Amino acid sequence: MTATSVRTHSGAVRVAGVEHVFGSRGAEVPALDRIDLTIEPGELVTLAGPSGCGKTTLLRLVAGFMRPTSGNISVGDREVRGPGAERGVVFQQPTLYPWLDVRGNVALGPKLRGVAKAERTARADTYLDLVGLTDFADRRPYELSGGMQQRTQIARVLANDPDIVLMDEPFGALDALTRERLQGELLSLWRATGKTVLFITHGVDEAVLLGTRVLVMSPRPGRIVLDEPAPFAAASADVDPKDLRASPEFAELTRRVREAIT
Amino acid sequence: MRRRPRLLGLSWLPAVVTAVGVLVLWTVVAASDWIQPAYLAPSPLEVWDAFVRANTYHPVGGGVDRVVRGEENYFLWEHLVVSLRRIAIGLVLAILVGVPLGLLMGTVESVRRVAGPYLDFLRSIPPLAYMGFLVAWFGIYDTSKIWLLFLAAFPPIALATINGVRGVREDQVNAVLSLGASRRQAVTSVVLPATTPDILSGIRVAVGFAWTTVVAAELVNGLPGIGGLAYLSGTQNKIALSVACILVIGLTAIALDFVIRLIERTLAPWRGKA
Ligand SMILES: Nc1ncnc2c1ncn2[C@@H]1O[C@H](COP(=O)(O)OP(=O)(O)OP(=O)(O)O)[C@@H](O)[C@H]1O
Ligand SMILES: [Mg+2]
Repeated sequence: MTATSVRTHSGAVRVAGVEHVFGSRGAEVPALDRIDLTIEPGELVTLAGPSGCGKTTLLRLVAGFMRPTSGNISVGDREVRGPGAERGVVFQQPTLYPWLDVRGNVALGPKLRGVAKAERTARADTYLDLVGLTDFADRRPYELSGGMQQRTQIARVLANDPDIVLMDEPFGALDALTRERLQGELLSLWRATGKTVLFITHGVDEAVLLGTRVLVMSPRPGRIVLDEPAPFAAASADVDPKDLRASPEFAELTRRVREAIT
Repeated sequence: MRRRPRLLGLSWLPAVVTAVGVLVLWTVVAASDWIQPAYLAPSPLEVWDAFVRANTYHPVGGGVDRVVRGEENYFLWEHLVVSLRRIAIGLVLAILVGVPLGLLMGTVESVRRVAGPYLDFLRSIPPLAYMGFLVAWFGIYDTSKIWLLFLAAFPPIALATINGVRGVREDQVNAVLSLGASRRQAVTSVVLPATTPDILSGIRVAVGFAWTTVVAAELVNGLPGIGGLAYLSGTQNKIALSVACILVIGLTAIALDFVIRLIERTLAPWRGKA
């Protein structure tokens, strides 16, 4: 992971005047309405909002899977024209490859870059260990539960070491215990690597706890209706999340976020 | 989902009873004089006898004191192998052309628009319609037959590949592009493996089609060849041998299908699971 801090970062993510409309004339579904947003390098931005408000749409635009109807998106000084390795994507639904075993899935990014087999296998095993799937490295994805597939997907993205990580409700399918553990892992990884993270979540508590900055989107067509800094992600690693949650600041921000969503 | 039979060993009982019933019925019909002349209805034993003779050195019979090798100088299994070899060559060529063409047509919209109608046209032609043309071009020997098999086998393979490519989940491709894959890498490391089950189904269809075609194609200068032998023996009133050939042709088709299913299961074990 030291490689990341040495490498020059891809730069800030800029979303400028982005609107997005699905469908064709006559049956138009406006999903995003004039989004302006800059995510600085190293920020951990959480994005919450009601179901169907356009969170995934925004993430897919930043990922480069589609082009916005109007406005533009750039990373550093380069316009986003398609997907790229510097923007890792954790999909809302896991997209693992059934012809590869779990380890093969996690090692795929390095493999595409031509990393030697021993090295990429070691790398994959490191991240499988991180997400607690060491024992399942030789299984096929369809032999895993939904939550395990999601963790595999997270490991696959992290093993590829992107500067920017786009995560679409990554912990939604997990049990509370695993979720809390992975929240902790995400924070320590973020502290150690300084990656830029856009993290979509349904959970108000999760948004407040994990974000250095919390965004809330309005119902469709999505607009950003709350944009506030949050101090809890930056707290030192040895502070128990329980204590953070118990603080009055946490309760206050949670209340404001909840209000903005409804 | 296959269910394990509750009483082990009894599940195949109906099949065996049916087979025995068919053989008994066949023997009765052959032994009766319902069908005239009698040589038109050989008994199972006569067919078995013809099958064995066709696979061994045997006397010509009819009072002539000469021993011949199988039928038409080849053993029956050699006739079969020759036909299978024709299929194999035609099929390999069809795969080599059909799969890349299908991948290209499936991934590049403009290629699909241009080449699609021609492929549909080719597919709609019964392969045997080419036979006269191919004989004129490539002669009466194996070249024309292999061309025929190629033309029979490649459209279903190409079409199945196209269908497979178009069925690949968009996000599976997006995911690999986000891992840094080039367009080419996306095709080789995601689109192709994701399409493997469809390609194999296409090959299965193609093999069935090619087998039907080769047997029919061997009516013209088909010796050695199992289809040629089936036809010739019939015209020479060796009905028992002809029936033996028909049975071999049918059983081979079933065996081929079984082998491809086996390959499908080893190459794409995830089929239907992901
Ligand atoms: N490919 C598409 N074609 C047409 N409409 C779409 C498409 N994708 C999304 N939409 C519509 O755009 C709106 C926003 O969808 P999006 O997936 O961004 O919501 P979301 O905020 O991620 O919701 P959730 O929290 O439930 O995942 C929805 O109303 C949805 O119906
Ligand atoms: Mg979504």
